[in-house]
Amino acid sequence: MFNKKLNLIFLAFFALLNCKAQECNIAITGTVIDEASQSPLSYVNIFIQETQTGTTTDDDGQFAFDDICEGHYHFIVSHIGCADEKFHFDIFQDTTINIGLSHTPTSLGTVVIAGQQNDFDNQANLTVKRNIIEDNSNQNLSGMLENETGIHLLKNGNGISKPIVHGLYGNRLMVLNNGVLQSGQQWGNDHSPEIDPFSSDKITVLKGASVIEYGGGNLGSAILTAPKRIEREPHLHGQINYIFETNGFGHTVNSRLQKYTPFLAWRVNGTFKKYGDKKTANYFLNNTGLEEYNLSLQLEKNWNDRLFLDFYASTFNTRLGVLRGSHIGNLTDLEQALNNEVPFFTESNFSYNLEAPKQHVSHHFVKAKTKYFISDQQILEIIVAGQLNDRKEFDIRRTERKDIPALSLKQYTFNSDIKYSHTFGDYWKFKIGNQNIITDNTNNPETGILPLIPDYRSWKSGFFSTLSFDKNKSSLNLGLRYDYEQQTVLKISNALPREIVRFENKFHNVSGLFSYKIKIAETQSIGWNIGYAMRNPAVNELYSNGLHQGVSGIEEGDAELAVEKAMKNTLEYKWIPSSNFAFNVLAYHQYFNDYIYLNPQDEVRLTIRGAFPVFKYEQTDATIYGLDISTQFTVNHSILGLLRYSYLKGEDVENEVPLIFMPPNSFFGSLTYRAPKSIKLTKKLKMEDFEIELSNRLVFEQKNILEGQDFVLPPSSYNLVGLKFSNNLILPSYKIRSFIKADNLLNVRYRDYLNRQRYFADDIGLSITVGINVKF
Amino acid sequence: MLRLLSIFVKIKKSIIMSKQYLWVTFLFVAIFTFNSCKKDDPVIVDPPELITSLNYTLTPSGGGDAITLTFQDLDGDGGNDPIIYGGTLAVNEIYTGSLELLNESVTPSEDITEEIEEDDEDHQFFFQTDVTGLSVTYNDQDADGNPVGLASTVSTGIAASGMLTVILRHQPDKEANGVSDGSIDLAGGETDIEVQFPINVQ
Repeated sequence: MFNKKLNLIFLAFFALLNCKAQECNIAITGTVIDEASQSPLSYVNIFIQETQTGTTTDDDGQFAFDDICEGHYHFIVSHIGCADEKFHFDIFQDTTINIGLSHTPTSLGTVVIAGQQNDFDNQANLTVKRNIIEDNSNQNLSGMLENETGIHLLKNGNGISKPIVHGLYGNRLMVLNNGVLQSGQQWGNDHSPEIDPFSSDKITVLKGASVIEYGGGNLGSAILTAPKRIEREPHLHGQINYIFETNGFGHTVNSRLQKYTPFLAWRVNGTFKKYGDKKTANYFLNNTGLEEYNLSLQLEKNWNDRLFLDFYASTFNTRLGVLRGSHIGNLTDLEQALNNEVPFFTESNFSYNLEAPKQHVSHHFVKAKTKYFISDQQILEIIVAGQLNDRKEFDIRRTERKDIPALSLKQYTFNSDIKYSHTFGDYWKFKIGNQNIITDNTNNPETGILPLIPDYRSWKSGFFSTLSFDKNKSSLNLGLRYDYEQQTVLKISNALPREIVRFENKFHNVSGLFSYKIKIAETQSIGWNIGYAMRNPAVNELYSNGLHQGVSGIEEGDAELAVEKAMKNTLEYKWIPSSNFAFNVLAYHQYFNDYIYLNPQDEVRLTIRGAFPVFKYEQTDATIYGLDISTQFTVNHSILGLLRYSYLKGEDVENEVPLIFMPPNSFFGSLTYRAPKSIKLTKKLKMEDFEIELSNRLVFEQKNILEGQDFVLPPSSYNLVGLKFSNNLILPSYKIRSFIKADNLLNVRYRDYLNRQRYFADDIGLSITVGINVKF
Repeated sequence: MLRLLSIFVKIKKSIIMSKQYLWVTFLFVAIFTFNSCKKDDPVIVDPPELITSLNYTLTPSGGGDAITLTFQDLDGDGGNDPIIYGGTLAVNEIYTGSLELLNESVTPSEDITEEIEEDDEDHQFFFQTDVTGLSVTYNDQDADGNPVGLASTVSTGIAASGMLTVILRHQPDKEANGVSDGSIDLAGGETDIEVQFPINVQ
């Protein structure tokens, strides 16, 4: 009721305010590249003379202007080492402008314009754009990636999910927040990455072996989140976003404010979320609500045209409930829960209450980055960052211990990153860098429980070097990396009397990559990527010892584990015969030597709580391979079709058994109708981009598993249908986007193989989401 | 080679000339100061809620020596195997059963039974057996009038042998069908204790 009123007030408020009227909703996007090397140019200033607004290209050479009115414009492009260039355009519709800059001061730059913007991403990697982030800001970071090819989610109920890229997650997948390796308790399958996606303007998934310049034990895949640079716009701008979801009666409010002054540019993002119990097709999932408060501050300072300084600080705070019925004591309880149609503790009433089992997690992040253009060819970049991850998990406990966490960990991380790049001649680019990561992990003894993960400190230092060659039709990349890691671990012994055992480990990891891309015809290209990487065992794999309540098993680390080695090959083929059709297929194969995994043991450990299965960290040789296929077509600029298919298989080649917890194959399809014309409602109010989107996600049953590898066989396949209506209202100085969508429209009862909650309960039923976003 | 060297010299020069120099210094100072101090030893905690031992004392109503069934696992989960003492009961006898829970990993040992008494609405013991003729009934109540099981009555029948299982459930649904009569099927909650004793009735 309250929300309805609020929306009306918003509408009324903005309807009253208007200054200049016109078609002012055009988006201009583009890329600036260096003509000679064809590589993207970052930090290029682009200024529109008529509107007196400006922006700077990001690290991929991309820039964007929103809400431009129809008309004639002069674009002034300036970059260090280049003379200012002025281009004139007549803009009538959404336009993509590709600018080629030449570093030789005398020659003129060239410009290519593509009329209607093509949604298809031309890069090898996958990118989630800002408009999708805004429409889905009620979800967590992983939720944004759910429908993409080659990506799956490992969940623990609805609020907690980790992304999986090509079958890899946790310790094997890096998440980079603002160019800095996100630090936290990645080992836990029930720990989500602590990042507010609303603060980012794009989320990129790197699937190839092109991640050599990022440190941190990656085996070929990474997820990058980053805000875009602040537009050079002297007025205060911003947006407010509100989303309501019926399932869980969840409210999400986000807002963003930004302003540029010649002295300093700033941007502030804020997010607040509150959800109650989620509901399956038939019953409530008790204690599955969440609360979240996030804030971030971005500052940019340009000292001169050579020296840029960026500062970023953010705080992420969440309280997450875990389904009460999924908290179990021992194996007997688990068996009973598996046989139960409806989980224990299910109540018929909805509630916002958050009780144990629950998680309280905070993540604080500070980063400073300087980029210095030594000359036209040389760039030096330095990043310094600090992080604090504070995780508390509450279990069901007796008496006054209810309010004391059962797991309480504080992790401080310090990151440093120095990169130097040098362009030689027209085609060659050389890059060299060093990264340091210091991690300090401490258990708070308040828990009164022997810690699952010991206290430790680690120092990791890595050096990399890449060489790339880019010439019209082909590009080539060569990279090498060396990492040194030193771990000091302080473990409390299990044997009585308890004492502290100190472990000192040193690891040397080497990785390398080679990639080659060639345009075989005007419309087709092929890219090949081969990468070798080493990952040393993480502290949990070496030393965890004890009962892991969440999985109802005793987990034992192995201090003698060797370094894991992986070789990944990807082959990508792209075919874009016209602006109406695009096809892309990516095949990958990754071979692991000494793959670290939890192997269920034959023995059952007897404790006072009953019998528990024992899992030990062991090593084997494994392979994961698969296919990501996607195609996109448009008809008459008004119908957009999208088909995506992911196939994946994981095998333990040494023992000739399937790998468990591998994503099942899935298919995603969507059909969107977009009204080709905008509708003028009043003289100053216009409706445009009216869209109806029908989507379908089919997840197949995971058949590649043997009986006895898991407590139960994987759930059967399921199919979810979604429907979404959206439109934009354009006022002279405001843009109001609103949408209504239904997820799981048919209220299907299903369980997902990668959701640990599937042992206990069904997945989420029908949910209707309404959102409104006002930009000014 | 010489060209590469000259590049590095050039970089160094530029660094010193620019404000970057400050950053680099700060960076290395930070790394080394952080790394040079020793990490503190963790505090060894005595887990207060650890239950290491369960004693089930059976006193014959017709007089005679009490029999104590014991489960003891001093080092908690993992480590050494627990020690289990079963017992021999007489035929056609009625015993008064009394349960005691201890944490014997600390000195002096802690009595966990008191915690159960304090929180008795949230706890219930269940007794299961395959010994012919053996039955266990509740002999106590919580504030709501539901059984707890710290006090019980055990009656034996003919000569037989088998196992007696004692289960403690935390937060069971005591109102569910059959739960207050000792049936665990609909109780839910989570298991805090599940131990088995070999029993011989002769």
